[in-house]
Amino acid sequence: MTSIIEVKHLTKRYRTATALDDVSLALDEGKIYGLLGRNGAGKTTLMSILTAQNFATSGHVRVFGEDPYENARVLGRLCFVRENQKYPERATPPQAFRTASYFYPNWNQRLAERLVEEFQLPTDRPIQRLSRGQLSAVGIVIALAARADVTFFDEPYLGLDAVARQVFYDRLIEDYAESPRTIVLSSHLIDEVANLLEHVIVLDRGRVVIDAAADDIRGSAFNVVGDATAVAAFAVGKQVLRKQTLGNVTSVVLKGQMSESDKVRLARSGVEVAPVSLQQFIVSSAAQPDRGDAWGTDGPPAKVEARQLVRNGGAR
Amino acid sequence: MTRVTNVMRLQLMNRQSYVIVPLLVLGGAALLALAIFLLVPYDGPKYAVMAAAAPLWAFLVVGVQALTLSFPFSQALGATRRDFHLGTLLTAAMTSAMLAIIYLAISLVEKATNGWGLNGYFSTPGLDGDAPLAAFASYFVLAMLCFLVGYWSAAVIKRWGTVVLISALVGVAIALTVASLLLVRFGAMQAVAEWAVAQGALGLDAWGLLLVVVLAATSFLTLRRITQ
Repeated sequence: MTSIIEVKHLTKRYRTATALDDVSLALDEGKIYGLLGRNGAGKTTLMSILTAQNFATSGHVRVFGEDPYENARVLGRLCFVRENQKYPERATPPQAFRTASYFYPNWNQRLAERLVEEFQLPTDRPIQRLSRGQLSAVGIVIALAARADVTFFDEPYLGLDAVARQVFYDRLIEDYAESPRTIVLSSHLIDEVANLLEHVIVLDRGRVVIDAAADDIRGSAFNVVGDATAVAAFAVGKQVLRKQTLGNVTSVVLKGQMSESDKVRLARSGVEVAPVSLQQFIVSSAAQPDRGDAWGTDGPPAKVEARQLVRNGGAR
Repeated sequence: MTRVTNVMRLQLMNRQSYVIVPLLVLGGAALLALAIFLLVPYDGPKYAVMAAAAPLWAFLVVGVQALTLSFPFSQALGATRRDFHLGTLLTAAMTSAMLAIIYLAISLVEKATNGWGLNGYFSTPGLDGDAPLAAFASYFVLAMLCFLVGYWSAAVIKRWGTVVLISALVGVAIALTVASLLLVRFGAMQAVAEWAVAQGALGLDAWGLLLVVVLAATSFLTLRRITQ
């Protein structure tokens, strides 16, 4: 497996804020990546720098082994439609699609037309006069039909209803199967996109807090729900990532995987066990505004800890 | 070259801004000018200078939008800044030339018909220098200048913000004012006027073209570090 995107010690500072703080990553060819994190975590800034639309303060990025800035060989293989993408004055969706087709040799017109129908996208109105959801749909059509070697989606579902979002997820998977490529999907709707992702990168306030295969994450913690006393008894000696109590029912996310003896004990105590979802895991371990509750106030830096957690969980 | 022509197709994906609106403004202004010539009870030559300038203002807007709207779209599609700039300049040159040809045609018709039989002129004799080539060149250079002023201004705003643009424009205005004051103070205005006349219309067009080149280069340097 070869890395097609390499990010080393990338830092982006604005006058008053640090958008990216010493980010190092390697992305492989032909995978679907989830770039997750809260608003303002640095997701868009990272994608902008990878596509040479923004500039690093320090550190560097390589795409296909080269600096992407003013590099037609590299940029021609990328597509990054922004969440608030601008289009030329009075341009209609079909005009935007036709223009995009000139830039991408693998443009899939059939897919574009199918998506237009499924999103019920008006074809005779200027893009500026479309609704928020329709604007998102225009971006999705371009980014999917372009079939660029690396495609970045920046919160692509804003304003889309549930049906339209499902259309997007379905077509993404279908077309990816037909024509594998690298896809980076930035999102804060973690559960909705969880099943699409092969690899998850979580940013929090400009730092990478999780960088792991999605399957490893799913196996790295589990959720236990039941009577407060029984759950508390079961959790003794285990690391609690998150605890929620409602009346006398308690739900905890526990680190690691269940042992055989755990399963026996649980069966006896009438406590329910469930796999932890990606969203639960991320909320539990990484993406909280202050992590005091999960890690203890003097806990280790979240970055190291979350990564260790994944490694330990996956290795067992 | 394909990459540059792709940008031209992007810029012209909707012909309304670059072609149709300037033509409508030109046609509308010409009709209005004729109507006014009919109404003015004066038999001497009448010139509608502002009417001929009207489509140039449309080009200023086109220049602004080329940067604020088309540039981000080109970035989404993976165009380099250089290819975007070249493609945009070529598009502007093509459409400026189209406008200039129409202007030239109007000025020739006006000469042949003695100002539509009304002794009223849409074209400006100062621009023509009595040579068809000069009429074309003057109009072309002015259209390009308008486009580039809009394009560069938008680039400055996107890169450094409105305050910097306004400061720059005020700075240019002050420099020009001071220069004219000095020329008047030292009685050199006469010499400048004589120099301009000696250049002739084509000579002045050449100076204008030099300014076009300078603005185009400055715009590119500004555009190179714009962030989205």
